[in-house]
Amino acid sequence: MTQEAVTLTIDGKEVTVPKGTLIIRAAEQLGIEIPRFCDHPLLEPAGACRQCYVEVEGQAKLFTSCTATVAPGMAVRTQNSSEVVHEAQVANLEFLLLNHPLDCPICDRGGECPLQDQALAFGPGESRYVEAKRTFEKPIPLSPLVGLDRERCVLCARCTRFCDQISGDRFIELFARGAGERVSIAAGEDFLSPFSGNTIQICPVGALTATPYRFVARPFDLSSVDTVCPHCSAGCNVKLDVRRGKVVRHLARDNLDVNDAWLCDKGRFAFRFPDDERRVTIPLLRDRGLEPTSFGEVMDAIGDWSRGKRVAFLTGGRLADEDAYALSKVARTAFVTNDLDHRREFAGGEAERLAAVAVTDRALSVTYRDVERAKAIVVAGLDAEQEVPILHLRLRKAARRGARIFVLNPRRTRLWDVAEHVLCRPGQEAHVLEQIVDGEGGDSGVGRAADALREAGEAGVVLAGMRLAEHPLAADVALRAARRTGARFSLVPRRAGDKGALAAGVHPRLLPGGRRVDDPGERAEVEAVWGELKNVVPGRNAKQILEAAANREIDVLFLVGVDPLRDFPDARLARHALENVPYKVVQSLELGSLEPFADAFLPAAAFPERDAHFTTWEGRAQRIRPVRGPAGLSRPDWEIFAGLARAMGGSLGFESLEDLQEESVGLLSPRAFSGGASAWVGAGAPQWIDELTLFTYPLLVDEGRLSEGASELKAALEEKPFLEIHPVDADKRSIADGGEVRVRTQAGQAVVPVRVTPDIAEGSVFVPFNQPGLAANTLLSGRFTAGATVEAVAAAEAAADPERLTVGGGP
Amino acid sequence: MSRGEQRPQDFLGGLAAAARGMGVVIKQVFRPDVTERYPQQIDEPPPRSHIGRHLLNRYENGLEKCIGCELCAYACPADAIWVEGADNDPENPVSPGERHAKDYQINYLRCIMCGLCVEACPTRALTMTHAYEMAFTSREDAIFTKEQLLEPPLPLGTAPGTQEG
Ligand code: SF4
Ligand code: SF4
Ligand code: SF4
Ligand code: SF4
Ligand code: FES
Repeated sequence: MTQEAVTLTIDGKEVTVPKGTLIIRAAEQLGIEIPRFCDHPLLEPAGACRQCYVEVEGQAKLFTSCTATVAPGMAVRTQNSSEVVHEAQVANLEFLLLNHPLDCPICDRGGECPLQDQALAFGPGESRYVEAKRTFEKPIPLSPLVGLDRERCVLCARCTRFCDQISGDRFIELFARGAGERVSIAAGEDFLSPFSGNTIQICPVGALTATPYRFVARPFDLSSVDTVCPHCSAGCNVKLDVRRGKVVRHLARDNLDVNDAWLCDKGRFAFRFPDDERRVTIPLLRDRGLEPTSFGEVMDAIGDWSRGKRVAFLTGGRLADEDAYALSKVARTAFVTNDLDHRREFAGGEAERLAAVAVTDRALSVTYRDVERAKAIVVAGLDAEQEVPILHLRLRKAARRGARIFVLNPRRTRLWDVAEHVLCRPGQEAHVLEQIVDGEGGDSGVGRAADALREAGEAGVVLAGMRLAEHPLAADVALRAARRTGARFSLVPRRAGDKGALAAGVHPRLLPGGRRVDDPGERAEVEAVWGELKNVVPGRNAKQILEAAANREIDVLFLVGVDPLRDFPDARLARHALENVPYKVVQSLELGSLEPFADAFLPAAAFPERDAHFTTWEGRAQRIRPVRGPAGLSRPDWEIFAGLARAMGGSLGFESLEDLQEESVGLLSPRAFSGGASAWVGAGAPQWIDELTLFTYPLLVDEGRLSEGASELKAALEEKPFLEIHPVDADKRSIADGGEVRVRTQAGQAVVPVRVTPDIAEGSVFVPFNQPGLAANTLLSGRFTAGATVEAVAAAEAAADPERLTVGGGP
Repeated sequence: MSRGEQRPQDFLGGLAAAARGMGVVIKQVFRPDVTERYPQQIDEPPPRSHIGRHLLNRYENGLEKCIGCELCAYACPADAIWVEGADNDPENPVSPGERHAKDYQINYLRCIMCGLCVEACPTRALTMTHAYEMAFTSREDAIFTKEQLLEPPLPLGTAPGTQEG
């Protein structure tokens, strides 16, 4: 796309910029700094603060450079070359400071405040104002996370524009005019946007402050490192601020290729887990109880248990890429097993093949920029706001730029105002997607999605969430739909380490780089680096490992950064597994609910102690950097794996991170996918079942272990357990909104408050995965379970029920 | 060559110079003694001298003046001050306003008594006193806590280690 260029001069210097550029941006290109408060490159211009005045030759009035666009031949003069502009800026700063309290010493923004900085650089030295300043009650908690100090506000409308234009969560608004103008929130409401923290960061003064950071530190106390958020696969670039070895806040770093300038509130406020008091930083070995010991002894014991035995590895999505690679190698070389998996979803079938595509076929893959520029997007089996929040913001950005978005999910998502939702029963996604493959256009949601994708061609994007991976066919059908319409395709995992683990081959059938373990040609490429692999039979996936463990077919089970009781969608199976494996080795930050089961504990270094990489859902590997050394005796996971290899009498072949990276780079670099044809023969129409299907997925803020200690975040955004049901289903069972219901499955039962809502597909009920008081995996045997019954429970009966949740108290 | 002119040119000139020098010494011998017989006899420093240990002051109503703003810590060239701010409980405030110092420490092994912290303090919470007696027998003792700093210093001569023996 060629754009018309415009040439103008600023302070006598010539610059050529695309037509439509704002003067303030053109000045930036010349390195000329014009003071500003309301201007933000990612928000639409507002012209609210009047600080950015410039003079345009031939114009009587001064221009605000953040709202005026360039014109050919324009001669702009800034404060550097125009006395009038300088005077106007000084006067405006004096004006902005009229009502500004002089409480910099106690203001959290002090020391890094644009108002302070610009008052010093461009402002008058003194104020002539002697009258009383306007006062407000302060600070007003907008939510347990955000405090508002109206006295400090300069009414720049950055916060309100963010909520309006970026997150779409319009909780706050500017009210009234003149001296009484102020940021407000509806009475009794809380600022419950999962992106609320961004308003704090972009507020150019200390009017919005973060409660978890309130009075905690000063900018000069902090040492910072640039790293990447560990909470999800979005891979937001963050800056970790540390005071005396303790992480005190996360700030967003600008990266227009990834997170723009935003973070979600989990990424911003869930930073206390590495310092949690339950963390264990010393190796433990079960003797009578779990006794502290040395790494050497634990490793020897594990070696003795494992030699010649049946070993399996389970891990979550929390491992960094290097750790995943070391795990993949140690399992296959030292322990000669393919029983390893990183997935929580009990996937099977074609999802395996798809996984290989996901890490190999770069031609298909999607980036944030692709999403932003797309004309049609189908989001299937993904609740982006809750699962990969920054992708949600990108989808909204795409919508603002005119993309047509279709969401195929059993539950309406927070894209409701910008996307068309096709609600479908869990497990039937494949059938709906098939209609897109078949190219059936027409006057239904699916038809419109098919038409839009076809029209968009290369500018189409299909994003498949992990709920599709649960179904043996669905993700594959989504891939077909993309191929058929020429759209780009990506599997979007939820957790930060998922994509890296997949690429490294922490997978029963796949070796690094998506190479299949049972394909001699692909295997040979890995063997060239690793040496001959003795076990060439595809192993068990996570579910099969648990089942095998429960059947006593596994002797040693490694649990690396995963707690099967809490993380897998079948708590009963997980418990059976733990009870029936002779030796359980836990490698993590803490023992948690595994304490009674662990036979050995290997303390792992936490995220802020690591130098490694995380790979985003797009496949972009980004470096994480340590802010401190490993706590106590803990070690990086890959070092522990290297130790395990030695304990087994072998070696991983690398002693340093650099060696590991050098070895893995060849195996992980992109290559063409050479997979055979899919076995897909059509999903077929779903059978009608007159039962409810219970499904679940984790909400953004829940009892997950990386949110430990984030009390303010939980107070603001953690929901109490609930069950969602469609009005039609509710009517049949005379269930009223707000009451309580008993949900019963083969696995278990619970009494939960109910929400009757049309925002869920008929025939399905939703329970969030892990809210305080109810772990949905006690009700499930997989991410969704058909054959649930739900019945109303009378209030009195509910109160007396032992299965009832204590809702309201909560932690 | 002004210095060259004064240089003794001969032996007699040298003798005269030595005598002049001895004259200075002898005059000094008969001048009154300025050595302080510390610690047997302690002279109070001038009343407004700020040469010694810091003091965290209070308002007359008992509230602490310090608001935990850390500006003193920022100003300190020796990085001797540690401040941790915290919210005031409106029912039971420690200082006026929103913020107070939850923790406040000065490390006198680092402090060079320059007084820049006092100049930085926006509330006049921090001042220096005349209590220059700071001898310690352990590193911990050299780090003054907030409680210690809120107490006015002991009279000179009473600090441990100042007694003879
Ligand atoms: S609270 Fe901050 S961001 Fe919002 S209008 Fe006021 S100064 Fe601007
Ligand atoms: S969107 Fe994901 S990566 Fe970004 S801040 Fe939130 S949790 Fe972290
Ligand atoms: S007197 Fe000087 S060195 Fe001592 S604490 Fe104050 S600023 Fe630091
Ligand atoms: S002593 Fe003064 S400068 Fe230091 S924290 Fe207290 S109020 Fe701030
Ligand atoms: S920055 Fe231009 S008016 Fe505020």
